[in-house]
Amino acid sequence: MLNVDGVCVKRGGKPTLQGVSMSIAPSRTLAVVGESGAGKSTLIGAILGMIPCAAGTITWNDAPVRRCKPALVMQEPRSAFNPRLCLRRSVMEPLVAQGIAVDAAHLAALCQGLEISADLLDRRPSQVSIGQAQRVGILRALIASPPLVLFDEPLSALDAVTQKHTARLIADLQQNVGFAALIVTHDLGYAAAFADDIAVLRAGRIEELTTAQDFVTAPQSAYGHTLRDAAFALGALEQVA
Amino acid sequence: MTIWATGLSAERSGRTILHSTDVVIRSGERVGLVGASGSGKSTLGHALIDTLQAQGQSVAHVPQSPDEALDPLRSLAFHWAEAERALGMKPDPTRQAELFTALRIEGGNLRKRPWGWSRGMQQRFVIAMALIGAPDLLVMDEPTSALDPIVAAGTMDLLDRYLQDRQTALLLVTHDLGLAARRVSRLMVMEDGRIVEDAPTHQVLSAPETRAAKSLCAHRNWLELPC
Repeated sequence: MLNVDGVCVKRGGKPTLQGVSMSIAPSRTLAVVGESGAGKSTLIGAILGMIPCAAGTITWNDAPVRRCKPALVMQEPRSAFNPRLCLRRSVMEPLVAQGIAVDAAHLAALCQGLEISADLLDRRPSQVSIGQAQRVGILRALIASPPLVLFDEPLSALDAVTQKHTARLIADLQQNVGFAALIVTHDLGYAAAFADDIAVLRAGRIEELTTAQDFVTAPQSAYGHTLRDAAFALGALEQVA
Repeated sequence: MTIWATGLSAERSGRTILHSTDVVIRSGERVGLVGASGSGKSTLGHALIDTLQAQGQSVAHVPQSPDEALDPLRSLAFHWAEAERALGMKPDPTRQAELFTALRIEGGNLRKRPWGWSRGMQQRFVIAMALIGAPDLLVMDEPTSALDPIVAAGTMDLLDRYLQDRQTALLLVTHDLGLAARRVSRLMVMEDGRIVEDAPTHQVLSAPETRAAKSLCAHRNWLELPC
């Protein structure tokens, strides 16, 4: 289980995360929503150990989180790969880095779950669509079977139909594999439909942390209300009568 | 003034990416141009703008991101003056104040460069620039995707209010049917470089006829996705 406890992060002397606490159990999904600059990506950096914490602890099953080798799915799928390598080599990188042998059955099952054909992996990033590239990005994240996967705006580069299709594939895989997921997104529709819990981050603090269902029907904070109503106004969420 | 353009088409690398298309938009009408990535909607938007400008009709474009419209090395005052000059207008502080008030950027310091303003304010500034010449048609390409939801909703609401009393038509180019459904009265659905469906919004939403429209409708709402 991921435990983030009282985490504070300072960048350039300014606090960007202040007393952030949350936890995610295996097979559960927590969506972190909030405006630009709220600290969403800093939180991901802190969990991955790329950004040092000024205070607080981040653990996976009471051990430092890096030991569980969490994976990251990035926002811009095509720029997440080395453009000169075929996708297969990029996908295998986590296995090479961790000294794990390729499990052909596991790879085949993931490819099937993500609707990735074998020939797709022999292409370069520029030779596939953005939706295909993001599915391969998810494949790379899951290839070494990490217990924790972090998604940084995983769907925002995709069109509306591909977004929803990809979200469904991620959710189905999660059900089969059982990883814990933290999804950073500004799309409340996605968060409400696919996350178990939603954390609203504002100016580095957790404004509210509630179940996705409760957030849609009755946000606890004034800012949560504003955020939800904006999602209604943009058609990302349908108003419940 | 009714906007019309006929025989719009485009090719890239010898491949037709926009088949011959006619577009008619009534004065003050709000139209959504929707479709998946690569369906040709942005191409049609650009072809329409080019053709209308060549015909001498007044059309303005708001790109997806303010970065595409603003030079980071120039002040916002420079951008505004340049936009006025391009339209052959003399500096008109009254018009500027009216637009800035409508889009709630009246407190912004024009001596700053774009990055001195928030992205939401930058986008509203770009919309205000597009409206300087009171165009007959405003073409907006994914206007909310670069913004946070709260800022995006606020910007669209302000624009709605501004356009309400004027005869400016709006063409909203977006992959997001949920957004379009909230903002336009007519939808043009694109697939493979063609408009495959063109009908009132409520009709497309309640009884989509084509595969593209059915797919968009089925994926419109996050909470009611097909299994």
